Amino acid sequence: MIFAEIRVFGRALAVQRRVLGALFMREFMTRWGRRNLGFAWLFAEPLVFALPVIAMWSQIRAPFEHGLPMIAFVWSGYLPLLIFRHVTGQALYTIKYSAAMLYHRQVTPLDIFIGRQGLELIGNIAACALSFLLLHMLGFLDWPDDYGLFLAGFFYMSWWSIAVALIVAALSERSEIVEHIWGPTSYMYMAVCGFFFMAAWLPTSLRQIALTVDPPLHAYEMIRAGLFGSSVQTFYDISYVSWILAIVTLIGLWLMRDVRKHLVLE
Amino acid sequence: MITVTDISKDYHSETRRTYHRVLSNLSFVLKPGEKLAVLGSNGAGKSTLIRLVAGVEMPTIGRIERTMSVSWPVGSAGGVGGSMTGNDNIRLICRIYNKPFKLIRGYVDDFAELGKYLGEPVMTYSAGMRARLNFALSLAVDFDCYLIDEVIAVGDHRFQRRSHEELFEKRADRSLILASHIPQIVKDYCSRALVLHRGRGKIFDDLDLAFEIYHDL
Repeated sequence: MIFAEIRVFGRALAVQRRVLGALFMREFMTRWGRRNLGFAWLFAEPLVFALPVIAMWSQIRAPFEHGLPMIAFVWSGYLPLLIFRHVTGQALYTIKYSAAMLYHRQVTPLDIFIGRQGLELIGNIAACALSFLLLHMLGFLDWPDDYGLFLAGFFYMSWWSIAVALIVAALSERSEIVEHIWGPTSYMYMAVCGFFFMAAWLPTSLRQIALTVDPPLHAYEMIRAGLFGSSVQTFYDISYVSWILAIVTLIGLWLMRDVRKHLVLE
Repeated sequence: MITVTDISKDYHSETRRTYHRVLSNLSFVLKPGEKLAVLGSNGAGKSTLIRLVAGVEMPTIGRIERTMSVSWPVGSAGGVGGSMTGNDNIRLICRIYNKPFKLIRGYVDDFAELGKYLGEPVMTYSAGMRARLNFALSLAVDFDCYLIDEVIAVGDHRFQRRSHEELFEKRADRSLILASHIPQIVKDYCSRALVLHRGRGKIFDDLDLAFEIYHDL
């Protein structure tokens, strides 16, 4: 009895693995394919975005702010911001764009989402790593003080981006309004997420509110705690942010579950 | 066997706060080896019915049970991706359905006769070429039941002859649901017909009678 069930589960798992592999390759070919730089665009694209901005900021701002090296601080704010903006921005109508794949019954909307947003995430993480190495070689960035905390910050930033992208993807198939409000919303997000401030710079009362309603702030604090070590004062609560992100993810999965009802196939 | 029990399908209107009932209270059974035509004018719900039977859309009410493997809806859209090349599409299908690439590629190359165009993006194909690729892929994967939405009619004479050969001589034991409004093709392929009109459907065992009624609607 139980063995039969394990076998069925194993077979389902194999199908799942094959489908995701196929969608990953498809996404890859569709977006970067065999043209010019090919897959190098995967991380070149975010880099083209990030480096000029970092260069500009370092010119117009003082080299040290709040005792932190400007370029390192901007890098730790801007690159995680790009993860969020690219992963969630791509999520609008992500299922509709690949609806032709739903003609194969094994392919679910969630598979399409994972294929597309997963690849976007990998590309942005690669861009983070590459730009870090580049700035390190130029002498602007030191190796992180605490690698574990540094990577944990990126993990939570990625999780947060994927969780929000799930909701954006599922809701955009339900109503076009999402497309119109997502632009301004993600713009305002820049101001509040923690991209250019640290929790320690806020007044105590505001800091409490920010840490309660602003999950990415925890991720930013972790990244900066890992990067700068004890030279900065940081605030984060790993168990709190894990709970919040788990809830956001569940809401996203729940919305994604019946997204098929809202799709009109060609 | 495919058992369709009392299905209805509604679509929300894009412009008004209402919905359109595309299919209503439809029931039929498709046995192994049976070849069923679906007749109906444009917008009668032929493609919708095929997508529902394929399981890529859900009926609003009712149930569809499948005890045999069913193809994806084979038409000139869907199933294959536009900006990927023909070869990439073959690879994709092989991965999803767990088939060896070489074998499938060989079959598709022989049947669809696309030659060097297999290396070009599918969006540069004509409707006929796309239909040939899609149909060849579904034949290569090998299903118990084929769901075909007009594509045979898109192909040229030679393609039609070969399709007939593949579906009848080599796969006589398989089932088929074919949406079409071309009498000759329906008579060549099918033994029964489901006539759709304003969401309602009725099965006819006599194809000539089915056409007569379809034309009188």
